[in-house]
Amino acid sequence: MDVIIENLPLYWEGFLRTLFLSAVSGVIALVLGTLLAAARVSPVAALRGFSTVYVEVLRNTPLTIAFFFAAIVLPRLGVKFEQFEIAAIIALSTYTAAFIAEAVRSGVNSVPVGQAEAARSIGMGFGQVLSLIILPQALRTVIPPLINILIALVKNSSVAGAFFVLELFGYGRQLANANGDAVITVLLGTAFFYLLLTVPLGILASTVERKVAIAR
Amino acid sequence: MTTHVPGDALVSLNAVNKHYGQLHVLKDINLQVRKGEVVVVIGPSGSGKSTLCRAINRLETIEDGTISIDGKVLPEEGKALAQLRADVGMVFQSFNLFAHKTILENVTLGPIKVKGVSKGEADKDAMALLERVGVGHQAPKLPAQLSGGQQQRVAIARALAMKPKVMLFDEPTSALDPEMINEVLDVMVQLAKEGMTMIVVTHEMGFARKAADRVVFMADGQIVEDATPEEFFTNPKSDRAKDFLSKLLTH
Repeated sequence: MDVIIENLPLYWEGFLRTLFLSAVSGVIALVLGTLLAAARVSPVAALRGFSTVYVEVLRNTPLTIAFFFAAIVLPRLGVKFEQFEIAAIIALSTYTAAFIAEAVRSGVNSVPVGQAEAARSIGMGFGQVLSLIILPQALRTVIPPLINILIALVKNSSVAGAFFVLELFGYGRQLANANGDAVITVLLGTAFFYLLLTVPLGILASTVERKVAIAR
Repeated sequence: MTTHVPGDALVSLNAVNKHYGQLHVLKDINLQVRKGEVVVVIGPSGSGKSTLCRAINRLETIEDGTISIDGKVLPEEGKALAQLRADVGMVFQSFNLFAHKTILENVTLGPIKVKGVSKGEADKDAMALLERVGVGHQAPKLPAQLSGGQQQRVAIARALAMKPKVMLFDEPTSALDPEMINEVLDVMVQLAKEGMTMIVVTHEMGFARKAADRVVFMADGQIVEDATPEEFFTNPKSDRAKDFLSKLLTH
């Protein structure tokens, strides 16, 4: 226990980094994923194709590869960042966006087709039908899977620890190395701080789900 | 092929054909509807009458022939199509009110977002329309809180809010409990009396007798008869229509 209490400031530092990484990547992934889902159902074949390829590639390859691309390949292509943290955000958000896109698309498919027909009948174009009628309903139905994806994102952000970003897992690893006699306690402490993020997300999911449910 | 539209035809279908795979659902349909006319389309299920109704605002595409509204041929896609649809009101069998919007918002959304009407003005017009169809006091509620009959009357108000040139009704009472059918039909009869151009697909023969200027009888994707209600109900010419009417009367 002592090792946790003594190192609380480090844990806290790592917790805040993880929170920051997850929050920024989560927001970007939500926006990007929704755009990808919109592209997937758009009447433009090129957009549909792009979205499909994007989702299939990122969803079906390991996150570590996304990290390698962002941290090592991108800089060689001339995209340089001051900190590895930016690379971590790029990798996490592009990877997570693929899952969000699939969840949102399933939500779009769950909205009865009559809703879109009614919207088209009063003269709305594709963009209006999607943004005013379909997405507001679709997003509400996919809140539980979206929160699942965000919980996975929080945990996935630990991969950044292996890419020189000192977040919760990175600090946990440092502490474990420095305290060879208390590795288990150190790891339990790390796990506790992850739970501090993910459990409230789960609770949030059920609260929000109940609040925004649409009666049909 | 010439696409001549008679001067007074508001809705004009010329040689329209459509298939669902092997099934030929619309066979060489020709139909002209004049301004102010109420045309009731009846026929057995699977006769293509709903498809016909939905094709008029291009919720169903057609393979050949032309459909024109007020002299303008229906565009294939995009802005022009959206603009034309704004002039064609549509009422669906399953109401299709926007489930996440209040009753008032359902009616004001089109005028505000499509026509650019100010919110204040749209609210005022919408309230007047909701009062007219008898659901004014339901304005702040969500669609699911209303009965089917009330929802369908809101759907009519939503379509009317766009000030359409013609109203299409696709079996507007088929999903309703019997005691709610009349409240919807009353609104429709009133609308017909006020001179609205209407194309109504329905099984309500009473409405056809009371409000229709013409009855169009469809079977197997074709228009079999096109007559006044009086003529059609008392003296149907085709065997198909006679058969259809005899089945109705036995119940």
